[in-house]
Amino acid sequence: MNDTTSQPRNDAPAPPSALVPCTVDADGIAEVRLGRPDETVVTLTRERILALADTFAALARDPRVRGVLIAGPCPGMFCAGADINLIAAIDTPAEGAAAAAQGRQTFQLLQQLKVPVVAAIEGPCVGGALELALFCDVRVASDHAATQIGLPEVKLGIVPGFGGTQNLARLVGLPTALDLILQGKLLKPKPALKQGLIDRLVPSPRLLQAARDELQKQIAKGRKHRRRRLRGAAFWLSKTPLRALAARAARKELGKGQARFYPAPKAALELCLQAFTLPPAQGFEAEAKALGEMIATPVSKGLTRLFFLTERSKKLGKGDGARNLTRTMVVGGGVMGAGIAGLLAQKGCPVRLCDVSGSALARARARLWQDLGKRLRRRNLERHEAQAILDRMATATEWGNLRGVDLWLEAVVEDLGVKQKLIAEAIARGLPEHALIATNTSSLPVDKMAANVPNPERVVGIHFFNPPEKMPLIEVIRGPRTSDAAIATACKLAVRLGKFPIVVKDAPGFLVNRCLAPYLNEAARLLVTGTDPEAIDQAMLDFGMPMGPCRLLDEIGYDVAAKVSDVMHKAFPERMVPNPLFAAMVAAKALGSKSGGGMFAVDGKGPGPGRKVLATLREQAGAGPTASRSELHTRLLYPMIDEAYRCLDEGIVASEQDLDLGLVMGIGFPPFLGGITPFATREGLQVIVTALDSLARTVDPRFAPADGLRRRAVQ
Amino acid sequence: MKRDPERDLAIVAGWRTPFCKAQGPLQGAAAADLATHVFREVLDRTGFPAAQIDEVILGCAGPDAREANVARVAALRAGVPAAVPAVTVMRNCASGMESLLAAQQRLRAGDGRAFLIGGVESMSNFPLLMGERLVKFFTRLGKARSLVARLRALAGFRFSALKPRIAIVEGLTDPTTGLMMGHTAENVARLFGIDRMAMDRYALESHQRAAQAQRAGRFAQEIAPLTAAPRHDAWLADDDGVRTEQTLEALQRLRPVFDRREGDVTVGNACQVTDGAAAMLCMSEAMAQEQGLRPLAVVRGHARAGLDPAVMGLGPVHATPPALAQAGIAFSDLDLVEINEAFAAQVLGCQAAFASARYAQQHLGLSHAVGELVPSKLNVNGGAIALGHPIAATGARLVLTLAHELRRRNLHWGLATLCIGGGQGQAVVLEAA
Repeated sequence: MNDTTSQPRNDAPAPPSALVPCTVDADGIAEVRLGRPDETVVTLTRERILALADTFAALARDPRVRGVLIAGPCPGMFCAGADINLIAAIDTPAEGAAAAAQGRQTFQLLQQLKVPVVAAIEGPCVGGALELALFCDVRVASDHAATQIGLPEVKLGIVPGFGGTQNLARLVGLPTALDLILQGKLLKPKPALKQGLIDRLVPSPRLLQAARDELQKQIAKGRKHRRRRLRGAAFWLSKTPLRALAARAARKELGKGQARFYPAPKAALELCLQAFTLPPAQGFEAEAKALGEMIATPVSKGLTRLFFLTERSKKLGKGDGARNLTRTMVVGGGVMGAGIAGLLAQKGCPVRLCDVSGSALARARARLWQDLGKRLRRRNLERHEAQAILDRMATATEWGNLRGVDLWLEAVVEDLGVKQKLIAEAIARGLPEHALIATNTSSLPVDKMAANVPNPERVVGIHFFNPPEKMPLIEVIRGPRTSDAAIATACKLAVRLGKFPIVVKDAPGFLVNRCLAPYLNEAARLLVTGTDPEAIDQAMLDFGMPMGPCRLLDEIGYDVAAKVSDVMHKAFPERMVPNPLFAAMVAAKALGSKSGGGMFAVDGKGPGPGRKVLATLREQAGAGPTASRSELHTRLLYPMIDEAYRCLDEGIVASEQDLDLGLVMGIGFPPFLGGITPFATREGLQVIVTALDSLARTVDPRFAPADGLRRRAVQ
Repeated sequence: MKRDPERDLAIVAGWRTPFCKAQGPLQGAAAADLATHVFREVLDRTGFPAAQIDEVILGCAGPDAREANVARVAALRAGVPAAVPAVTVMRNCASGMESLLAAQQRLRAGDGRAFLIGGVESMSNFPLLMGERLVKFFTRLGKARSLVARLRALAGFRFSALKPRIAIVEGLTDPTTGLMMGHTAENVARLFGIDRMAMDRYALESHQRAAQAQRAGRFAQEIAPLTAAPRHDAWLADDDGVRTEQTLEALQRLRPVFDRREGDVTVGNACQVTDGAAAMLCMSEAMAQEQGLRPLAVVRGHARAGLDPAVMGLGPVHATPPALAQAGIAFSDLDLVEINEAFAAQVLGCQAAFASARYAQQHLGLSHAVGELVPSKLNVNGGAIALGHPIAATGARLVLTLAHELRRRNLHWGLATLCIGGGQGQAVVLEAA
């Protein structure tokens, strides 16, 4: 009954596009596939939207059709939403609004059909795809692992434009819609069912049959829409003036912290409200207009660029020779080692965490158990899953037998001798020849660690940032002898851990710490010469950084900062002269948050014990005037830009894209700027060079820009 | 006895958790948590591919209702592939040793060559059970349909019905004789004229020997340290029942607990109530050789025997002669002996019975005494009086400790044996490899 024998369609316009195959069976059920069977990823391109419009129009004219079923092209794929290239290519509000209206009007054809329409959802159903599904009368989803449902548009700096804000808000009520749209949340099928986004959840193999059954039910009842009413709080907070309460709570959230740099969530909030205050036609129009405005903003362009960068980074994990790692061992149970091991365990990779100190291992396990406990309480984890994660992380003072280990990673103290000794021991103990030897060093040359390894091509740096569970970047460090396969395997691991890898050259500070050095160094100098930490941090927060440099120093710790500063000074003696603050803070035992506060108190509110050290230094140096906003901007950011281009020219990274992704994910460089190179271009490279030249003349020669930057500025 | 490397079971390696007093640091760990830990340590430390294991066999006398086949739960959690079957075996106090015997018998029967075995007990988690009257109350309440019937059922509630049944007490009581295990020890003591002083001296020595072994790091060789729920923030590496400062005077001051008026068995000269687990990787001698693994010891003989439950403490005396016969050696060939210290009275009773020609004639059908067991060969690193007796874990620990000690002292033959509640004994003869 459900076979899809296609019958010749005499009344169809020109051959129905191969882009969206459509068949009508003997029962009069039309099955529309959103893509060809060989398409494993489907996006809504301009062509596909046109094809859908043709198909829907043809269905409306076809007298045989009693019901329409909309499904993805193959198991595990519904549709990944609008084509991002399309979004990136639109530059004017008018163009954007027109594109939105066109898409939405296409989907509205479904609503205008006289027959019921059921969406059979399996795999991603996000953005434009959900907006399409929302115009269907019934939504059935499968429990396939890839199924994800939501409207993530704000993550690209835009709002849903194909009717999503209006339809979703009316379907699930204002509070739920705001919760989903303003953060761009994606739901797994179970919560999606609970929140009312879908009507039925079925096991994957039964999806199409279940969708057909739903269709038959609607046909039997002679009804198109499935009646659904908002109830309880959802009703009161949507359909009555009480909705102002929900809106106020959401607005308050959007006023906090860095949210002020992102206009899209605010626009989406107003649109969701209009779903209940405006007639549908006007609501849809307002939505298209808002999309047009958002799509042309630099914020959207920046975020879209970042999206491309992250996709590009994920592809690194698919390089030639990338192997899947099944058994791992982490040596060093400190903060980094414990975090890395915990992350491996959480992502399904058995790991043995070893340290000479049992109490360090107990701390590591306690920390993982605490994190899991939090997730248990938030109910995004079940008890047996938490148990399995903990079981995957063995902690022991004994290394055990290395026979089955295929990744051996060290995260011990930054001491070349110690690291070399441990690597030698691993090899002596029978680490298999194919196993990757990785170091989490942040300052030592990877190649020196490979010095006595018989097959050094498998030694690679995998630099996690602190805390490893949260920081999204991993620097994969390629030593001169590291093989492509080892790099690809490390990148694959990074992607599996949910991180974005960038490949960097084996040189002091790699990329992130090297670009961070002038920034933090300069912040320290500004402090000593008389600018207050509050002023410095506020300037950078207003620029869009997630945390000011002084607060960041407190978090990193002045001991670590001093150590890195030394390494950088050795490597770049003219440019990276150490500032007096780090050493003074270490001498006064004010190490930052870990020792009871630095420039700020431990919670970041109010001054910390480091101010005394600062006062003494200022007395000795004879503090100058407070730096102005624009001076702070120039002195803190321009040297970082200069350093970034130096990294590019020295081949530390291969491309501007790597620079941008690395600095956004590694130090939180404002994502809405799309990276440091678009920011530099926006500022004007010539302006930057001039400013640096002037600083070099008036303040210190260290500001002198590199030739590479000069050359680019001239072009 | 003819040796056959395809049919003799080699103990390749094994580790245990520290043994910690019940309601102590391991109380948050379920039996499966403890067993998972030792299984994983054995796999990680030997590097033996878990897929090559033919069966996982784990002793547990009181598995939790949530993990009734605790062997399977722990095996899966430790990363043993799903295709490898697992069984939980139960012979009360000998359950841990039963896993070894079961493996040996499977090997001889041709049912597999490699086994992950052990024993686990979380005595902290022995439950309180609902009394019969409470069960009846709930049943009636559940069946009541009308409001009146429900009220009537509710009115039938009596606070006295809340009195729980204590699983650990019931478990340690022999249902056929009504005797608690301590009472059976008193019986043994009376049979052989063992007095309170002898028991306390023995208990003291157990603590002293265990303390010495602990100081010398001998247990550290066999312990795989762990952390335990609920917080996982303490590194547990040592047995916590050993009392280095124990004095005879302090032992003498304790009141008898079972026969409160005329008895001699106190908590001081009986085993402690403890949580723990032990696991070993075993395979045929031939397979160990193929894999290039050097075993700790090889099982040459084993036996189980039954006797009057009222004197169950003498079980080792009944199980030892057939085990020795299977190994083809004499009692005097034994270099080291581990007898589980359920009670000092019972170990001393076994010693006396081994040496008694009359006991051998009356109960074992032998013409002469089994043999003299000198204290210098017996429980050289202390026993359950100091380390505790996590019921099913003990049998595995005895074997593990014995195997390590044989190697350390470069000795040849060892015997591990224990008495079993319900009137049984079990013994294995190990030859150092």
